[in-house]
Order: sequence, then C-alpha cells, then structure tokens
Amino acid sequence: MTIQNASRPAVSPSSAGQPSPQVRFRRRSAISDLLVVIAWVSGPVAASLYLASGGLADVKDLGSFFTALGIVTGLIGTDFILLMLVLAARVPVIDRAVGHDRAIGLHRQLGKPALYLILAHAGLLLIGYGASSGINPIAEIGPMLALPDMITAVVGTALLIAVVVTSLVAVRRKFPYEFWHVIHLLSYAAVLFALPHQLSIGGTLAEGTVQRVYWIGLYVVAIGAIVIFRFGVPLFRSWAHDIRVQQVEWIAPDVASIHLTGRDLRALGAGGGQFVIWRFWTAGTWWHSHPISLSALPTDRHARITVRVLGRGTRRLTTVKPGTRVSFAGPYGIFTDAARTSPKLAIVAAGIGITPARALLEGSQLARGEATVLVRSSTDDETFLWTEMRKLAEARGAQLFAMVGPRARNSWMSQHDASRGVTLRSIFPDLDRSDLYVCGPQAWAEAVVADARAAGLPEHQIHLESFEL
Amino acid sequence: MRRRAAVASILASAGVILAGVQVGAAVTAARTPTATGTGSGSSNGGSTSGTGTSSGTSSGSTGSTGSTGAAKDGTFNGTTVQTPFGPMQVAAVISGGKLTDVKVLQRTNQGGRSIQISNQADPMLRNEVLQAQSANVSTIGGATYTSEGYLQSLQAALDQAGFAG
Repeated sequence: MTIQNASRPAVSPSSAGQPSPQVRFRRRSAISDLLVVIAWVSGPVAASLYLASGGLADVKDLGSFFTALGIVTGLIGTDFILLMLVLAARVPVIDRAVGHDRAIGLHRQLGKPALYLILAHAGLLLIGYGASSGINPIAEIGPMLALPDMITAVVGTALLIAVVVTSLVAVRRKFPYEFWHVIHLLSYAAVLFALPHQLSIGGTLAEGTVQRVYWIGLYVVAIGAIVIFRFGVPLFRSWAHDIRVQQVEWIAPDVASIHLTGRDLRALGAGGGQFVIWRFWTAGTWWHSHPISLSALPTDRHARITVRVLGRGTRRLTTVKPGTRVSFAGPYGIFTDAARTSPKLAIVAAGIGITPARALLEGSQLARGEATVLVRSSTDDETFLWTEMRKLAEARGAQLFAMVGPRARNSWMSQHDASRGVTLRSIFPDLDRSDLYVCGPQAWAEAVVADARAAGLPEHQIHLESFEL
Repeated sequence: MRRRAAVASILASAGVILAGVQVGAAVTAARTPTATGTGSGSSNGGSTSGTGTSSGTSSGSTGSTGSTGAAKDGTFNGTTVQTPFGPMQVAAVISGGKLTDVKVLQRTNQGGRSIQISNQADPMLRNEVLQAQSANVSTIGGATYTSEGYLQSLQAALDQAGFAG
C-alpha cells in the first residue's frame, strides 16, 4: 500500500435525480429476466404452434410418429439458430440488460444443441418418410433429395456443421482468428440456404397457416437485427462521427494510447468502462477489428483508447499514422455504472485492466467515500495511467490503494501484502454492500473473483472484465 | 433473480404447450366430419356431393345410360376434395356394372413431399378399391389426407353413377 488519498468532497453529480443503484438493478434484472423467458419459451412456442395446427392428429403409426418428431426437432433447432443470430446481433436492449459477454456466452452454448437438433431433424424424417413408403432410412435418401429445395437445405446443413466444428474450443485454437471468422460468416448463408425447404416441403409452414406467418416474422426479426445492429448502425455512426487517428502515445514499454478525433462523440453515449470494436483503415490493419476499451470518457471532439501490444495485430495498430480513418461498432458492455446493484463501489484493476477501471471511475456518479479503488502491478513498469487514476480518485472523493510487487503463490496479491495478512475485506471494509468491479489479465482477474466468492459476495455484485493475455 | 426467470420460463413453456395441445385437439375435431362424411356417403345411393370441406361440382361425363344393373356405365368425375395438401379429385370408370378403373384427375400438390406421397399412395388405393369394388377401404398409412381425399372423391363419383357395389 503506497498511496492513500484523503477523501475530498465529490464532484456534483451532473444528472441529479438518477435512481439509486438498487432501483436500477431491479429494473435491469426485470428486463434481463423477461429476455431470458422470451428466449427459452420461443422453443416451446415453435412446438406449440405445430401442435395447435393439429400435429398430434397426424401421428397414426410409428412412421408418422418419427415424421412428427422430425418436424418438431427441425422447428426448435431453427428457433435456436435464429436466437443465436439475435444474440450475436449486439441488440442494444440485450447489451444493456445482460451485457455483450453473457449474450455471446449463451450464443456459444446454443451452437451444439442447435446442430444436434437439425441433424436429428434430418435423421428422424428419413426414418419417418422411409417407414411411410415401406423402405429403410438409407434407401429414403434418394427420394428425399429429389424433393424441391432439398439440395440447398443439405448445403445449409453442411455449412452449419462447418461453423459449429470450427467454433469448438479445441479446433478454434488451431486456426487463426480470421479463418474462424470467415467460416462463421457462412452461418448467414446456412440460414438462407435452409429457408426455402421449410416453406415448400411438408405443408407444416404451408401458405395461409399461422405457422408460416410466425416463422417469417421470426426470420425478419433475426435477420433484421443483424442487418440493423451489426451493419447499419455501425456504418452510419462511423460515417456520421468521422473518427480519425490523432496521435499514438507510448505510455509504457509495450502500452500505447491512441488518441482519436471525431465529430460530436459525446452523442455516442459511451459509459465509462465500455469497449468499442475498432477498425483502422490502413493497408495492414483494415481486415482485422479490435475490441478495445475506452480509457477516457469521450469529449465532443476527442476519444482515447489504450492498448497493450500482444502480437502482430496490435503491434500494427501502434504504427497507424495520424489522419487514418477509423470505423467502429459500439460502444458495448456493462462494465459500467449502469450495472451497479449496491450502495458502495469497489474497483480492482491490474495491467491493461486499468483502462476500463479508469473510465468507470470517471463516468460514475459518486458520493464522497462511496468508492474504493485498488490498483495492482508486479513491477513499476506497469503503473501506466496510475497518475490519472489518482487525480480522478481525488476529484471523486474515492479512496485509492496501490499494491506493487511480485505476485504471491496462490493469490492475486503481492507477496508482501499476502504475507502480512491483507484480505479483500481489509481493503474493502464495506465489501458486502459493494459492487466489486474486477479488470485485468484473465487468470489474475479470475483469482480475484474466486476470492470474492469465497468471501461470500453474491454473484450479481461481481463484475468482471478480463483481458486475454 | 435467475431462479425467477427459470420458474417463469418453465411455467410459460408448460402453458404454451398445453394451449397448443388444446387448440390442436379443437382443430382436429373440426376437421373430423370431413372424413366420416365419406363413410356414410356409401350407404345411400343418392348423389350427396360436397360434404364437409369438399367443394366443386360433380359432373358425369360420357355416361351411356341403360345397361344391365343399377349402375350406369361410363366415366364419372368425383368432387374435388380440399385437403391440407391441396385438392384431390378422381374419376371412376364403370363398365358392365363393375368398377374397372380409377383415374386421378387432380392430386395433392402442396409441397414436394405430398406429391411423393400421392404418387405412392394412388396406385395402392386404386388396387384396393378395384378389389373391394367400393370406396369403403382403409386409408394408406402415412398418406392419410391423400387417402381420405381420394376415397371421398371416388365415393361422390360412385354415388353419381348409382353404383352400390
């Protein structure tokens, strides 16, 4: 512990009358729960609409039973895939309620079940149709492929398999990010290829049925969300705000701040702690986008991001010339004041994790003594942005602790502090009434979170932003 | 809070599925008279065309009156029966007081799958009705709608011919 600030009066809140963290938390979790319910119930709704159209009455023997089961698995599998599109679309209401991380987490979880359902759909219908015709499922493959729009459906399924397989953790590690990304873009093609056979075969979604209307509606929502929020909004914002590189400033041996200029940047409504996905338009960098946290709240004309050089991609970013055009998507994430649930604020940051922590502190409406900050580093080289952090803490009436020194075994703390009995609770005496924001290298940040859980801090009071190193 | 979402999801899912089953049962019940109408049609020799969802008019063609027996010889078009997979219409060919052939005039056409089903089911139905000399045969498994439409249309044609088996 080297720095300790005397508390000063907090700056006057600019948006007085903002509801308390507890009230905001109740609202946010109500919206989040509603979204979760809508997501899960959409599967049963798909099955229910089929049942409502008299699906059960069609089951007369084993063959028609398999056929009905095949139709239902296809419907639910398709529902999952459309859900995955919506989750990956970065829809603002979803990002604000549960955060981009959790949305993508659910998107990943749904991948395999969706693929299994689609494969079951194909297999069960081969059995069902085959049984109706009195032939085995293998022999049914020929007649099945003769159906209209069936070839495109098979191509769609093959693309889906490719997308899911390349996304398996073990497989994904073996290929560069760009390879995975290009394959992943094929999922749009997979969805579109599979669409015609749903409308033309079997009569489940025949013209004039409620199901047809419902499913076309789902497609419009899912594809619309992608088109608007993944492409439309970012393109428009990039054009409207006209962001360009102003200057690259080295602040540590391998850490650089990139200063950006643009038009009316405050209108982006970026919250402190959010990240933006950037694309720098130079020959060497345009094909790779980078999610990077804002290290300061944007002003009307100026924004700043801070990046650690980890590989060739980030190295190239630090060589961009002033004036380089920058397009972007975002800001995203709820590592912000908006995710608060409790009266007190506790921030723990290390390494490059200081960037969102600094912006979070800057963007929070705080009463005097409401916030406590711990900044952590192994060496003196890693103390970039700490001076700014100290000034901000003074201005916000927050307490700031610093912890420098090599890491102790089995702890996220320094050897010195761990050995003299420092704990999360001794740093943050009000821990139980606090929101704990943790940001830093992944393994370290997870150790802090594990410590907080062991101390009995409930899950909704823990906010994690980790950086893969 | 997450438990609240889980409970609400489960309850809502159960409700949605139950509602689906209920509506499905009602839809099926509403559809049933069409199927039974075919069966009762065979008992009275009168021309009862257009039961339930069946539509269109039955019109005899090339009927040569007055051969032996009650039935007229000739080709008689059945009614067009609407199934969930499209219209179904057959014609009965009666010669010498016997049902000698059934021709399919329109077959279910909505979705490639129902065309396949129809192609498979039609010859089987033809064999059965020619053997039974009646439209009162059981439907083909896996081709329920096609069979019902086929048999219902055939019955209308037989009724028109005054054919009683």
